Amino acid sequence: MKRILALILTLALIASLGLVSAFAADELVDGKFAETRHITVRLFQRGDNVPETSPFADFIRKGMLEKYNVEVEFAVSGRWSETEDLATVLASGQAPDVIYTYAYPTILNYADMGGIIDLAPYIEQYKDLLPNLFTLLGEENVYWDKDPETGNLWALETRLVNNARINTFMRKDWLDKLGLAVPTTKAEFEACLVAFRDNAELLLGADADRMVPYSTSYDIGWRNNNLTVSFIPDAISDEELYIHGFDDRQQTEPGAKEAIRLLNKWYNDGLVWKDFALYGSGDTTEDDNIKAGFVGAFQHNWDYPFRNGEDSIDANLKRNVGPDAAYVAVDPFENDAGAHRKFLGSTVDRKVCFPSTNDEILASLLYLDFISSPETILFLQTGTEGINHERAENGAFMMKVVDSADPNYQASVNNIDFTMTCNGQYLGEYTEVSLAYGYAPVASELVEGAYAIAMTDGRIPGHFSLPAIEAEAEVGDTLSLERNSFLNKAVTASVEDFDKVYDDGLANYMSIGGEAIMNERAEKLEAATGYVHQAD
Amino acid sequence: MTDVKATAGKAKKIGGFSFSTYMRRYGTLYLLLLLPIIFFIVFRYTPMAYILMAFKKNNIIKPPWQVAWAKNGGFEWFIKAFRDKQFIRALRNTITLNLLDLVCGFPAPIIMALLLNELAFKRFKKVTQTILYLPHFLSWIIISGLALRLLADNDGLINILYKRNTGNPDAVIPFLSKENWWIGSYIAFGIWKEAGWGTIIYLAALTGISPELYEAAAVDGAGRFRRMWHVTLPGLRPTIITLLIMRLGYILGSEFDRPMAMGNTLVTNVSTVISVYVYQKGINGGGQFSLTTAVGLFQSVVGILFLFGANSLAKRFGERGIV
Repeated sequence: MKRILALILTLALIASLGLVSAFAADELVDGKFAETRHITVRLFQRGDNVPETSPFADFIRKGMLEKYNVEVEFAVSGRWSETEDLATVLASGQAPDVIYTYAYPTILNYADMGGIIDLAPYIEQYKDLLPNLFTLLGEENVYWDKDPETGNLWALETRLVNNARINTFMRKDWLDKLGLAVPTTKAEFEACLVAFRDNAELLLGADADRMVPYSTSYDIGWRNNNLTVSFIPDAISDEELYIHGFDDRQQTEPGAKEAIRLLNKWYNDGLVWKDFALYGSGDTTEDDNIKAGFVGAFQHNWDYPFRNGEDSIDANLKRNVGPDAAYVAVDPFENDAGAHRKFLGSTVDRKVCFPSTNDEILASLLYLDFISSPETILFLQTGTEGINHERAENGAFMMKVVDSADPNYQASVNNIDFTMTCNGQYLGEYTEVSLAYGYAPVASELVEGAYAIAMTDGRIPGHFSLPAIEAEAEVGDTLSLERNSFLNKAVTASVEDFDKVYDDGLANYMSIGGEAIMNERAEKLEAATGYVHQAD
Repeated sequence: MTDVKATAGKAKKIGGFSFSTYMRRYGTLYLLLLLPIIFFIVFRYTPMAYILMAFKKNNIIKPPWQVAWAKNGGFEWFIKAFRDKQFIRALRNTITLNLLDLVCGFPAPIIMALLLNELAFKRFKKVTQTILYLPHFLSWIIISGLALRLLADNDGLINILYKRNTGNPDAVIPFLSKENWWIGSYIAFGIWKEAGWGTIIYLAALTGISPELYEAAAVDGAGRFRRMWHVTLPGLRPTIITLLIMRLGYILGSEFDRPMAMGNTLVTNVSTVISVYVYQKGINGGGQFSLTTAVGLFQSVVGILFLFGANSLAKRFGERGIV
């Protein structure tokens, strides 16, 4: 009798467990999936790095398995071919469950094809399970792309923590050698470039004919952005910036032409690198010139000379030229109000979305929550003590040089390839004190100085929540290629031809898509806010 | 006995054998043929079903037969392409570059083969041939790197020497940075890369010309150039015509790696050919897959028309043609 009772009880127990798990198949039991789930996640790869076998990948896999019983598999995609890769995996139905890219129009295009999941209902349903995600992104970023008409939410905007963008760098040792002060105006900046050109023999000796007073790349708009912005009227409204702002190079704003005219003058005066237009994206020729010490000044990401440890521009320059050689950030471009305006990044960075083939939506959202937690970000950004960093007395994380063949090596600044939802140091109370130590072996003063200048007179263009701009989905990369092409031609034109080359180029650029986008933006902005576009 | 039976039973006879005898003898050869046939079915014919995309709404997520038809009776994308300035430009560039390639590049291997054929020293001829073949094995990526090192305005070897010789630092030859110069460089590198390789087929054809013809011509008092003109070239004519027909079928075709690698932002106006346009509008962020499929289909149809056109023209001029 006892035995039968025990049997019945056991059976009942098993049955009830089965019942519970059947009910909870999609839900969590004590915050965990009862059965192991499996998701794949997109991960960028740069160079020879093998990110999926690094301790950072292990940390995520282990953490997700322990916390949620979710197996994470990384699907690696080349950083510089990510758009093509995304098209390929989406078309073949093999997209990872969690994907991200930089261009929202691309996501919109795939959403129109039915390839992307509308996150709106899931975010509402699971909001309480995602505290870290909401804390990091904030309501603003989570609902940034929510279509006010349809209510669709195709992507989550991840968080840009550090919104410093572009700096102008100059060889401090050259300025000292020539007895020149750090330039604070355009005129002084130009005078410095002229002095570099005229003193090539003194500065470079036998390599005098390699002198490049000012270097830039084919991406004129990006690599001369501080200069461009200094020609845009200070009083320009957020609305106008939005209408013009379909790409982030500010090349259709009023005044932009004069910036290009100045570059054209510099080019014809022999101040600009003559071959800038010949080398494409990812080519290292320009960087090699800078590292070899031939270049006087350039504009780039605010921390560009400090990136990549022993292979950074700063470290190479010191090896090739001498311990005194250094690029310092300078702030010479004043605008019509006398401010040294820079357009900063807003709070958004990459855009995360789920393809329609994702059948593990909750697990995928939990993944986003997991990598958004402060503890996870702390480890992903600072790594292991003694290997990736040491602690200073004030608690600052001082990053160390890690060999690029070491699995602990971080192939991207602040390991952003792993911190999908966060771009920029996010170390809680230690963020501020750690910033300058993030770039071993670069001296912390250089980094501090560059950050301060990058933020001086910074302006964050406002955001408007509007319905999708259909015209943007169609143009893709062709519009920016066309922009680069006409700007390059304008810069390299003779001074007499400049107006014609520039005007023709801009007109063509507008006619193949630029104008359609601006008109649609203006219309939808007017419908939402009543603002009337001031045509210039 | 068996033969009689076979003829009586089934009328089928292949090459004088009954079907089963034939298959027993040569079946393995057919089995061998199976592999390429499968290859063509899987990789060449099955994908053709996706040509349907050109007539459907733009979608790569769903298979094209599940997608709705495009506007204007399915011809939305063709209309759109021909209204697109960038496509018209790409079409123009494709035809220009291909015609120049044809005019400059087609005779090059013929001339080279004739010259090689006249070389008396066997060993020297072999070495020369090998050196001429080599560039064919370099990819366009490598050649574009070479081109930059040699021809760049500022840091290119030729311009560095030129500047030093003239003593004028602003004197540069814009090989890659001005549109017309770039076209010249583009065509020249094409000839350098492929002319040597192209000689192979002509040299093979040359071995087929009877030595007696040369002897007879020599007896008639023909010198070297006369012999070349009256014996060698007529002997090569069928080969030349065949290759020309094939080249014409390719008049709208476009390589991708060559213009993509050789081009730069200063010359996009002349370097963007159809394949580059398709890449940019399609997978490189444009996401216009139906449009680019339509363009590809247009390209192929025009190619076929040219192929047959050239073929019938050749036949009219008394040549054999290839189709």
